[in-house]
Amino acid sequence: TPSSTAQFNLRTYWTALIQEINHKLDESIPVSYPHRIYEAMRYTALDKAAKRAPPVMCITACELFGGHRTAAFPTACALEMVHAASLIHDDLPCMDNDQVRRGHAANHVVYGEDMAILAGDALFPLGFSHIVSYTPRELVPETRVLQVIAEIARTVGSTGMVAGQFLDLEDGADAVDFIQEKKFGELAECSAVCGGLLAGAIDDDIQRLRRYGKAVGILYQVVDDILKEKANSRRNDEEEKSKGKSYVRVYGLEKAKKVAEDLRAQAKKELDGFENYGDKVIPLYSFVDYAADRGFSVGA
Amino acid sequence: MVGKAISVNKALDKAVALKHPEKIHEAMRYSLLAGGKRVRPILCIAACELVGGDESAAMAAACSVEMIHTMSLIHDDLPCMDNDDLRRGKPTNHKVFGEDVAVLAGDSLLSFAFEHLATATPLGQVSPGQVVRAVGELARVIGAEGLVAGQVVDIDSEGAADVGLEQLEFIHIHKTGAIVGGGTDEEVEKLRKFAIGIGLLFQVVDDILDVTKSSEELGKTAGKDLVADKVTFPKLMGIEKSREYAERLVKAAKDQLVGFDQEKAKPLIALVDYIAYRQN
Repeated sequence: TPSSTAQFNLRTYWTALIQEINHKLDESIPVSYPHRIYEAMRYTALDKAAKRAPPVMCITACELFGGHRTAAFPTACALEMVHAASLIHDDLPCMDNDQVRRGHAANHVVYGEDMAILAGDALFPLGFSHIVSYTPRELVPETRVLQVIAEIARTVGSTGMVAGQFLDLEDGADAVDFIQEKKFGELAECSAVCGGLLAGAIDDDIQRLRRYGKAVGILYQVVDDILKEKANSRRNDEEEKSKGKSYVRVYGLEKAKKVAEDLRAQAKKELDGFENYGDKVIPLYSFVDYAADRGFSVGA
Repeated sequence: MVGKAISVNKALDKAVALKHPEKIHEAMRYSLLAGGKRVRPILCIAACELVGGDESAAMAAACSVEMIHTMSLIHDDLPCMDNDDLRRGKPTNHKVFGEDVAVLAGDSLLSFAFEHLATATPLGQVSPGQVVRAVGELARVIGAEGLVAGQVVDIDSEGAADVGLEQLEFIHIHKTGAIVGGGTDEEVEKLRKFAIGIGLLFQVVDDILDVTKSSEELGKTAGKDLVADKVTFPKLMGIEKSREYAERLVKAAKDQLVGFDQEKAKPLIALVDYIAYRQN
């Protein structure tokens, strides 16, 4: 790890970038007729409590290879739209039946189940049309735009995040690795890869981003499970325990900690391969440490 | 037209393979391969051929359009939406696989439509730039300006008395129209008008069939619109006037095809007649 990582202030970097992303997202989902659907879409997609990890990852990966932020913003916004869409659908009564998301009432609680389904259905394609309409062609050739679209579509689809959600709904305790990889690793992987694609990175580097992104995404979730387990054991919250597949619940706290350490090491090892890119790789290192340590809180 | 429907069915069967997790892919295939009329993909291919393209150039887009259409049916049928038990003569997706899987199968078809269009369109025949534009067009068919808007307005206007014809047209034009791409700007504009016209025609005929046919004849629940107190053409203008309106739409749609190669326009003319005079 470069020694300058310690000086790099992720919180400042992240906060500034989040503001920029929030502004772009706000512009990208204007309210028009019929109003109610746009309000429902905006309610979740523009949630101030969102950490914006996928767009931040995408932009940072793009800048690593000398790509301009402008090239990445439309895709960054699209990633947040499809992210929001999948959260809205995951929270539905027929799915995880969650009433609360990011500390606020879930989308269907506010707008009704029908509107929540439609808001998700509208956010997916809006993401794709946003990429098509706003990615600057002078910076990103059309073949690259197509690769980005295919990458996102595959990630959210039946072999990606949908597969994770499906097995999570089934009683697949033995599938917890697969579920975590699909539900949380895929989007981070996709975000990093899209950033690389937009900047025109070579295939080897794309593969490296793939492995890095996946490791960070799973790491974040495993650490979440560990933190939740610790909080729950203090409160002895039985109800919370029955929800979702927790890594800790399946493998125990010790193994979960070991897995987290391995993932951290693996993610950093991948980044060591980008040493030629100098200081630009520092934010990517700091994401790994953030996922593992949660040194500060992000978002409003 | 039958020949085209067969090649579309084959291509759809091939496009959505049984992968892990199988149940999701089974649910996707259940609705996608349930023997729909394939009006939209055939329209897509016929429009491509009309402006000089090959069927093979349009097949991925045609399949994607059908995937989008199917996903919107799966979600529209859900208990919290239209709550339908019957579709294309078979139990609806959520009746067979459960609501959770039905939501996910719909989401999967939605995203796969974009993946398929982006990866399966032959780049030898269609430039990357054209494919990117087609992706944008596909997104507009389903998005908050398209099918989703239609369903929102549908939900909102149930029971409301003050809905005018214009709003009704807005619902259905967006719901069924604007799927076509390719050709010169002028050709695209003509085809867009054509598509909007037959989209509307499709809906007018659907509304008439809903009040004049039985569930058995339709393969889906008949009389639903009345029960749901939905605004329909027969309700607004009566059955006779609705039939006259359909005739005017048939003529207007065919008029848009004047000026094209008439040999190549034949499939589209046949499609208009099929939509207008079908019995289910």
